[in-house]
Amino acid sequence: MTHDNRTQGNRTRSNRMQGNEPMAASAAELAEAAAATSTAAVGSPAESAQSQPSSVNAEYADLVVRAAAGGNGGIVVPDWLESKQPDKPLTTRRAGRAKNDLKRFPFIGFISILVLAFLYIPMAIVVGYSFNGGRQALLWQGFSVRWYGEVFHDPAIIAATRTSLVVALAATVLSTLLALGYVLAIDHMSRLGSRLASGLINASMMIPEIVLGVATMAFIRMIGMAPGYLPLILAHTTFCIPFVEMPIRARLQTLDRSCFEAAQDLGASQFTTVRRITMPLLTPGIISGALMGFVVSMDDYMISNFLTTAGTTTLPIYIFSLIRKGVNPSINVIATLLLLLAVVVTVVSSVLTGRKGSKR
Amino acid sequence: MMSDSKPPTMAIDGRDNSDNVINSASGTDSAAVMTAAAAATSGLSRSQKLQNPQESQESRESQKSQKPQKPPWYKRMFGADRKVKPGMLHRIWALPSIVLGLMFTLGPVCVIVAFSFMSRPDVGGGVKYQFSLDGYKKLLFREDFFGNSYFDGRYLQVFWTSLWMALVTTAVCVALAFPIALWISMRSAKAQRILVMLVTIPFWTNLIVRTYAWMLILNDNGPINQFTQRLGMGAHELLYTPVASLIGLIYTFLPFAVLPMYSALAGFDFRLVEAAYDLGATRGVVMRRIILRAARPGIASGIALCLIPAFGAYVQPVLLGGGRVLMVGNLISSQFSEARNWPFGSAISTVILVITLLAALIASAVGNRSARKAGIAS
Repeated sequence: MTHDNRTQGNRTRSNRMQGNEPMAASAAELAEAAAATSTAAVGSPAESAQSQPSSVNAEYADLVVRAAAGGNGGIVVPDWLESKQPDKPLTTRRAGRAKNDLKRFPFIGFISILVLAFLYIPMAIVVGYSFNGGRQALLWQGFSVRWYGEVFHDPAIIAATRTSLVVALAATVLSTLLALGYVLAIDHMSRLGSRLASGLINASMMIPEIVLGVATMAFIRMIGMAPGYLPLILAHTTFCIPFVEMPIRARLQTLDRSCFEAAQDLGASQFTTVRRITMPLLTPGIISGALMGFVVSMDDYMISNFLTTAGTTTLPIYIFSLIRKGVNPSINVIATLLLLLAVVVTVVSSVLTGRKGSKR
Repeated sequence: MMSDSKPPTMAIDGRDNSDNVINSASGTDSAAVMTAAAAATSGLSRSQKLQNPQESQESRESQKSQKPQKPPWYKRMFGADRKVKPGMLHRIWALPSIVLGLMFTLGPVCVIVAFSFMSRPDVGGGVKYQFSLDGYKKLLFREDFFGNSYFDGRYLQVFWTSLWMALVTTAVCVALAFPIALWISMRSAKAQRILVMLVTIPFWTNLIVRTYAWMLILNDNGPINQFTQRLGMGAHELLYTPVASLIGLIYTFLPFAVLPMYSALAGFDFRLVEAAYDLGATRGVVMRRIILRAARPGIASGIALCLIPAFGAYVQPVLLGGGRVLMVGNLISSQFSEARNWPFGSAISTVILVITLLAALIASAVGNRSARKAGIAS
């Protein structure tokens, strides 16, 4: 009995799967008509239950009329359909859906908590040990912030931090400007041109860092550029652009282009439209992109390692050399501060992109 | 699209018309020009209303006949024949990024490929501009003192180690990332945002900091060893082992696997799962035929995002493996620093680049195909 049931279920499902693809194709054409009905049908249960009689009725009549009017493709609406309407809201969504699903996949919640613990316990340990008062990095000798004081007065650390900040700020500003221009201009290129350009720009994300590092070193040696700030900043700008560009592009896709058209119809010039309309609307994307560019530049070790000289040691390079000498309490402090930077940047950019979602 | 752009084109037609009038009157004196222009502009609204269809058609035809030949391919490729859309910038603004990309991405790649075919100078680093295949030969063969060459598997072994480590890392990351991605995508919208943020924070944390955290944990005096000693099981050497560098790799690349998988599942309609259960599907069937099907593009890009950088990893094997595990990244780095054999280092880099390119192409092909199957791609 149960076996029978299951095979039947299987058959039904496979039928549906096969029928899926032509349906998806035609769905695109019918999207406009469907959008009207689906908003009424798939809305939240309470809402659709309240407004159901009137709105569904109207939508249904509208659909029938539209189908009849545009039905020169052979769609004939039978008479009996005109008076019909669904007797239930077209949704299977029920309260407590998430609980229902969890019961059916019992392990994923447990595994997820474990994975999150795996991600955060090491960081928590670093933060914890950064408040250790002892001279030993791993021997707990009471709470103290003395190593924070030591780090803030260590000239080598301050110099490395300053170099990193100079490079990161310059790379952030440059890459934000370049990425903004790129995102706003890429629409006007042909399909092939824009694909080539985006492939070129995103390539620095896909190439293994070690290869890009040695290759950039060979390249600047070949063109006769001396290692130091200039190649560092240019190389950092190059690999920051894809990270900066992503949130800006995502933000641009959510904007209503009719704002720009309205501005131009009201007599704004091309530049005025960009300056007064596009830029303010893109601001959350620009800020979150710039923050990401800053973090990516601050974090880079591999590529900088091949481009620096003695005078331009960046913070990650300095930490790496400290770590190779062995664990040390001041590394805990720097690591905690860098962790704090990541947290701040992630939270700020998440808030910025989240606000976009709620406004829309 | 067409209906949107109609009003502006009509306005342009009108302006073109008045220009024509001015141009035709340019032979006579300026007063006549002024009056003609004034007449053209003042009469424009009326005449436009009366004979708009004809006029606009004519002027459109005249515009067509003005440029009958297509612009050359290089102009078309960069979209020279397109008008700037409102609120956007002229295509020239994309140029700086592209030039920088050409200089600092394509340039270095070309140089490294070129260097791999050159020969080694007698002393020091760098290359001698003389064609040779020594770099590639060294990958597979070893020459003894008398010039006889033998097959040498040492460097292949390094490649194999790297590939093995990268594969294990990717497998573990994908296996751990799938449940959490699924779990996050089933939460409420607000919880999803917070959980994604939690996964993203390690992603943006300094790579060296993350690796250092594991050095603390696995250290001889670290928490794990303190714990086992207290239990009376004694201390174990955990740091500077292959397992330690594997843990570091997994820890580093886990967010790289979670995020694309989550974004593939985020828009997933879980009513399909309900429907499947209602139709009598078992848990395994739902997982295999519905959820995994939707997650497949995310899994493909997750694999690519883990496998490629893990293959070229450098920091984790050095800090956690303690040099006992030699991966390709360490080999390249040593060729450019201590060993000073640039052509050989370039040859290894070129091989990695080719492997990366192939992997990226396969991943994007698989991703596209499965996205199309799942009905996600346009």
